[in-house]
Amino acid sequence: MFFRVMDKERVPELVSGLSESFELFGPVAKGEKFVLDRIEDPAELRLDFDTTLLPPKKLFFPPEDQMMRFRVADNEVLDDEVFAAPRMIFGLHPCDINALMLMDNVFTGDYEDPYYTARRASTMIVGVSCVPTESCFCNAWGTDEVHWGFDVFLTDIGDRYFVSVHSVKGAELLDQHVVTREITDEDTAAFQERTRAFKSSFTEELDTAQLPLLLDAKFDDKLWDELGERCLSCGACSMVCPTCYCFDVKDRLAADGKTGVRVRTWDSCQFSEFAEVAHGDNFRASRASRVKYRYYHKQWGYLSKFERVLCVGCGRCAKACLAGISPREVVKALEKGGEC
Amino acid sequence: MLMSASAYRELQANPYRPWPARITSIMDLTEHEKLFELRIIDNEVREAFKFDSGQFVELSIFGVGEAPISISSAPSKQGFIELCVRNAGDVTGALHRKQCGDVVGLRGPFGRGFPFSEMKGHDVLLVAGGLGIAPLKSLINHIHDDRHDFGKVTILYGARNPDEVLFRYQFDMWKHRDDFDLKLTVDEADDTWTDGVGRVTGLFEELDIDPSVTYGAICGPPVMYRYVIDEMREKKMDVDKIYVSFERRMKCGIGKCGHCGVGHQYACVDGPVFNYWEAMNLQEAI
Repeated sequence: MFFRVMDKERVPELVSGLSESFELFGPVAKGEKFVLDRIEDPAELRLDFDTTLLPPKKLFFPPEDQMMRFRVADNEVLDDEVFAAPRMIFGLHPCDINALMLMDNVFTGDYEDPYYTARRASTMIVGVSCVPTESCFCNAWGTDEVHWGFDVFLTDIGDRYFVSVHSVKGAELLDQHVVTREITDEDTAAFQERTRAFKSSFTEELDTAQLPLLLDAKFDDKLWDELGERCLSCGACSMVCPTCYCFDVKDRLAADGKTGVRVRTWDSCQFSEFAEVAHGDNFRASRASRVKYRYYHKQWGYLSKFERVLCVGCGRCAKACLAGISPREVVKALEKGGEC
Repeated sequence: MLMSASAYRELQANPYRPWPARITSIMDLTEHEKLFELRIIDNEVREAFKFDSGQFVELSIFGVGEAPISISSAPSKQGFIELCVRNAGDVTGALHRKQCGDVVGLRGPFGRGFPFSEMKGHDVLLVAGGLGIAPLKSLINHIHDDRHDFGKVTILYGARNPDEVLFRYQFDMWKHRDDFDLKLTVDEADDTWTDGVGRVTGLFEELDIDPSVTYGAICGPPVMYRYVIDEMREKKMDVDKIYVSFERRMKCGIGKCGHCGVGHQYACVDGPVFNYWEAMNLQEAI
């Protein structure tokens, strides 16, 4: 990795230069909240955002995604091409960049998912440092830092950015579109100082000791029944989660019934029919079992395969939950006992 | 040699894209179940399609969807696969309406099957309930084709009533062979029934097995596992020599869609066959 320093006031010229070669996405204001959207005008970009309503997964694994077109008569695939335009997301926080890397583990591997990987390969990422909000608990999982998974990362050190350059393409684009300078000892000291201040500004240190084992040991804990009573099975937690990847597959026929498209849509393990099989057996018929499974999979199932928990502490699910269920509270209840 | 993920990728870069396969035979088994013989149309793919007993395919009918179906034919028979399918949902219903010669889609083979080579040289005790005979049929026929490599072979199969007994044509023949100990039972008999009556667990009492050399395999409705395992444990069989096959909603078949989670594993890639030691350590499994 090498580093440069860029004055903050140069961001608009960089963004407008980049928008000539990429479909550019970034955080923009929507009412009092922020969303990840197309940047048409550099002035719309809001690098001071807290969290976007939906995470970046929507750009790689859209809520509804066409997998293939088919013809019914001979059961033939007409096309399954993935169209992936060159894109750039300008302004992702470390949690969301870490989340994409956790998603990568699922969509690559033995059977590579062509839709996700094509979009991933065609999308450059510029990260930006953040300030922890009340609902952030990325510090619990170490996802408050990110060391790769981006082309360029901008860390706010006052009137300038400490720029970490990870990819050749990122270095070239910086060269092409903006004036940067070499780092000085003073810049590095400011970078370290900023990191220390950032680390100490979290509202709490979550105790996550032996969490996977606790999930097994407390599998029948009454905590889950209490949460099941409150949960509405609406699935909002999964939709806003940057690491929830479950999907459903549906065939949609054209009006003439001769051709159609096979699509996949976001799904949630909180929906009642999620684990139901054809003969009617439902392996998670109760709400309590479904709430529990979400935690069990994120903190243990995924970890058993990839050695990381499937949560980045962004706090979106806690904000989206109409029943006020928060992973931070669930973890505390598991660790210390009692209600949450 | 099993068809590996990398071999799969060489033949098909998109693991969601089904291979066209022709229905070459349809046999009515019961009122609700038919046996379909399918042949993948592409020669290269058909020859590369090597599977283990206990593995499954995703059956794809465009306009309706996909369903996971375990393979019923033996790996020792190549060039085609047989699927024993109950008319129980949209996809299986659409398959039941297909004619011989029609083309459907297949993806697979997926999942982890029974450890055939590990079982070789041992006695086996295979226990099926209802439609659970479908994946076990593959293992039974595979053992049949390599019969000299196995010791005592015992098969226990229970169904609700005589009309629901699957593969009766084969089992009626096998009852007369002395190299297979085949015991059938039904919950409710009729006048024609000459075999056992009662639960499949009732057949254990008269069993004489040597637990030190016996592998078990179980497949049936979810409620059955606990009781059959208890009987096998009663016979002192080892927990890691008892294999179970789980039915879950394996939608993608390749460990992505999340629907078939069982405890901390996915049935589609980590199973659907697990040994009982693994299953004991899987929450929500049995």
